[in-house]
Amino acid sequence: MKEKQQRYETLVHAFHGDIYRYAYWLTRDPTIAEDVVQETFLRAWRSLDALKDEKSAKSWLITIVRRENARRFERKQLDLVDIDDVSVSDDAFHAAPQDESDELRVLIARLPMDYREPLLLQLLFGYSGEEIAEQLSLNKNTVMTRLFRARNQLKDMLAQESSQQRGRQNG
Amino acid sequence: MDDLEFRRRVFANPNTTDKEVAVIAARNPDKAQLKNSLQQFDDDLMKALKVQVPDNLAHKLIWEQKSEELKRHKRRTPWYIGLAASIALTIGVTGTVVMHRANVNIGEEALAHMRYSETEQSHSAVAVNMDLINAKLAGFGGTLVSSIGNVRVANYCHLNTTQSLHLILDTDQGPMSVFIMPQKRDQNVPDAFADNQYHGESWALQKASIMVVGEKGADLAPLMQKVKRSITFSA
Repeated sequence: MKEKQQRYETLVHAFHGDIYRYAYWLTRDPTIAEDVVQETFLRAWRSLDALKDEKSAKSWLITIVRRENARRFERKQLDLVDIDDVSVSDDAFHAAPQDESDELRVLIARLPMDYREPLLLQLLFGYSGEEIAEQLSLNKNTVMTRLFRARNQLKDMLAQESSQQRGRQNG
Repeated sequence: MDDLEFRRRVFANPNTTDKEVAVIAARNPDKAQLKNSLQQFDDDLMKALKVQVPDNLAHKLIWEQKSEELKRHKRRTPWYIGLAASIALTIGVTGTVVMHRANVNIGEEALAHMRYSETEQSHSAVAVNMDLINAKLAGFGGTLVSSIGNVRVANYCHLNTTQSLHLILDTDQGPMSVFIMPQKRDQNVPDAFADNQYHGESWALQKASIMVVGEKGADLAPLMQKVKRSITFSA
């Protein structure tokens, strides 16, 4: 029991930050993200015995956090809306961007989930194409295409934003 | 590799170690420039992705798990329905869950606390000595005039809804606990109680009830004698 407790606490300390950020970018809402992370770690605790190798802890937790996020939509099924079709409600993404990071955050939040998620795995967790493919149950070519499109769309959006800004300044 | 394919590969992973990509970038400054600019873009993206993590999130996650564990324990052992919760939560996380259930057999609650006592840690970083115990006992109007043995932990806990002092001792009869709780009118403290692991006995004083609990088969009498000799309550 003590050993299990220690394993759990080590897991929390090692991964809570990255798992929170992952949940944040899945949900695009800090409060919902925190709820999802709490559910994720509770599930992890309940099935900790199933985690045989600490090396796979990261991908195990990612699998759980993705499932917890999906569960949110099962609960909300009656709404019958695709979150990607709905504008993001979080004020953080509406407030006037303070710096370049804020501006990028708004654009990342606008990326469709299919493109956003592989990018998160690559950048937040340093996953390779193969690892992302395995985590998301996709083939590697699909993953590479989505990563390409993610950056391509971000670059396009950035260019659009700056031309709009120029337009405003000139007008 | 044509232009489009080069673009696809560096956009998919600006830090790619793909040899073909490296060869082309080495030959063509424009392509090398594109690759560099995407690497720079990745640095910016990383900065943007690293949103601030809420303060104390790790502590919250550990707290949640401990509360869940307590709830689960109660479900698994329904005869401890009234198990009140003052299990020592992680150091740094303090708080007490107070259960509002009346008429629960306090002896059974004490037994439930025993199950945790092996893993229970002192809330305080200060070593347990007579001064510390007496400081905690003062709230009940009690004093220990002499040592009752090697007290490892002295924590307040709730038995039913009554705040009690839980002392955990190492004795030659194994780990034992002494619970001291103020006398209450409607309180049901049995003289003797047991489960398959522990047994306990209690006696009532004018101001307090005291329970001594030890492992099955352990002789409680020596510790009971010591406590009876040592403890006094102000009038």
